[in-house]
Amino acid sequence: MNTIEVSHLRKFYSVFKKEPGVWGSLKSVFKRRYEEVRAVDDISFNIKEGELVGFIGPNGAGKTTTLKCLSGLLYPDSGFVSVLGFQPWQRKPEFQKQFALVMGQKNQLWWDLPPMETFLLNKEIYEVPDEQFKKTLEELVELLEVEDILKIQTRKLSLGQRMKCELIAALIHSPKVLFLDEPTIGLDVIMQKKIRDFIKEYNQRYQATIILTSHYMGDVKELCQRVLIIDKGQLVFDGALEKIVKKYAEHKLISVVLSEKVSLEKLKQIGKVDKYDYPKVNFRIGKKQTSEITSKILEELPIVDLNIEESPIEEIIRDLFTKKNYR
Amino acid sequence: MKKYLQLAKITFEEYLVYRLNFYLWRFRSFIVFLTLLFFWLAIYGDRTEFLGYQKAQMITYVIGIAFLRTIVLGSRSADLGPQIRSGELTKLLLKPIKTIHFWFTRDVVDKGLNLFFTIIEILAIVWLLKLSFYLPYHLTTYFSFAVLSLMAIFLYFFLSFTLSVVAFWTEEIWATRWLFGVIFLEFLAGAFFPLDVLPSWLTKIIYLTPFPYLVFFPMKIWLEQLNSGEIIMAIFICLIWLIFFWWLAVFLWRKGAKNYGAYGG
Repeated sequence: MNTIEVSHLRKFYSVFKKEPGVWGSLKSVFKRRYEEVRAVDDISFNIKEGELVGFIGPNGAGKTTTLKCLSGLLYPDSGFVSVLGFQPWQRKPEFQKQFALVMGQKNQLWWDLPPMETFLLNKEIYEVPDEQFKKTLEELVELLEVEDILKIQTRKLSLGQRMKCELIAALIHSPKVLFLDEPTIGLDVIMQKKIRDFIKEYNQRYQATIILTSHYMGDVKELCQRVLIIDKGQLVFDGALEKIVKKYAEHKLISVVLSEKVSLEKLKQIGKVDKYDYPKVNFRIGKKQTSEITSKILEELPIVDLNIEESPIEEIIRDLFTKKNYR
Repeated sequence: MKKYLQLAKITFEEYLVYRLNFYLWRFRSFIVFLTLLFFWLAIYGDRTEFLGYQKAQMITYVIGIAFLRTIVLGSRSADLGPQIRSGELTKLLLKPIKTIHFWFTRDVVDKGLNLFFTIIEILAIVWLLKLSFYLPYHLTTYFSFAVLSLMAIFLYFFLSFTLSVVAFWTEEIWATRWLFGVIFLEFLAGAFFPLDVLPSWLTKIIYLTPFPYLVFFPMKIWLEQLNSGEIIMAIFICLIWLIFFWWLAVFLWRKGAKNYGAYGG
């Protein structure tokens, strides 16, 4: 059974446009120009129980809008959305008790009180029994290593500490469905890694269904077998991460270690040189020419070592977003 | 129910964090009370009666204003408007908690805390200035006063909530709130002077609005200046307004929550 079903979801905003300056403001008093923004335009996908799915796309692609529709914050203009068998916008308590939305840029912790107060309030709001609360809290605190900060005022915590506590506040009712909107934004690499490990662990331990959006490909690469790519409100890819590479990678990287110096001109005759820093050369070549150019290199250059790699996923996705040639 | 208790607890703790803020607010309320009191004391001077009010009655009215201001006028739901605009409302909408209950719970704590200090302030002033204070003779007076005051609390809450909810549609909520707060409400509620000193054709119109039931009528009941027919009439009109604004608040809230843009993030 699918935990999340989305079919032909549409959400448009009308945005009021104002010209800059006082004159623009005065004009806007009498006449307002509204423009329609198609934040989400006909999106369909299904997610099974226990899946951890990455949701990627450039800024303003419609990721957050989709998540807001899934969590019942926004009322869809058309289409069908079902999460755990509920229609999210009805905001039924039975539904709300089973999911959580974590936004990296928003906090739910009470700013002037220690995180523990928020946890206790959430315990009551979600009607979590004492025993379960104690157990869950202990587990989460241990996984995230935050024992010593639970009683410090939230506003005095660092961003990383706060994010960890945000996660605990969101998970204290053991949600079956979890939407994470850029949970690692602004965190350093160590903290990113910790949060990532935690998400993975949570997914496996509780069989939770998770959708994760992130601008860091590292998050997606490490956590998600399946990704959804969205751009301009439309779903452009749905499948395994490796498939993106197969489908969209136009280049391969051949890195070579030379045994003696070769002129740049000569290297350029063989293929497109990405970087030359003796003894290392990187060629960036079309996928189809790989074997032809590899044999050329082996014949014509004095080499010690040769490696053929796919171009990094970040690059593929960047190319994809800038060129917009989805097939 | 337990969730609202916990919310009350956390709200209380928050007040303890914002101590200075709270003191300043108390100071301001106290000054408003004193200003009004001295203004009326000066007008009376050596007179014992003015505009149909005995001096003791007027002083009681002014003290009543301070009391009712605390428990009726003023609602934390004023914060809801900005929360709708900034998108902060999101975190509340995601949870199995009712927004109206949420704000009302915060109000109860706010009012309880303020009431505690208001009573101390009033007692201190009454004792220091040796003011004569009117205490009703009949037990039923206390009862009707309590009933109408309680209704006034809810009426004001739904009024304020309705105004905050308007933020779902308008961009500038503060203009409406200011106009509402200062001009209409405090004046028409009788929070400066008893309304029946105005020409009677005007008071008749004002009595049809919801405002005089917030301060003026409860005080008229306290001063035992209404007969039982008038008391029932006052409670009846107040009830109609209460039901109307209750319905309006819930209706607009439901409609607005559907319209909500969940901005930011």
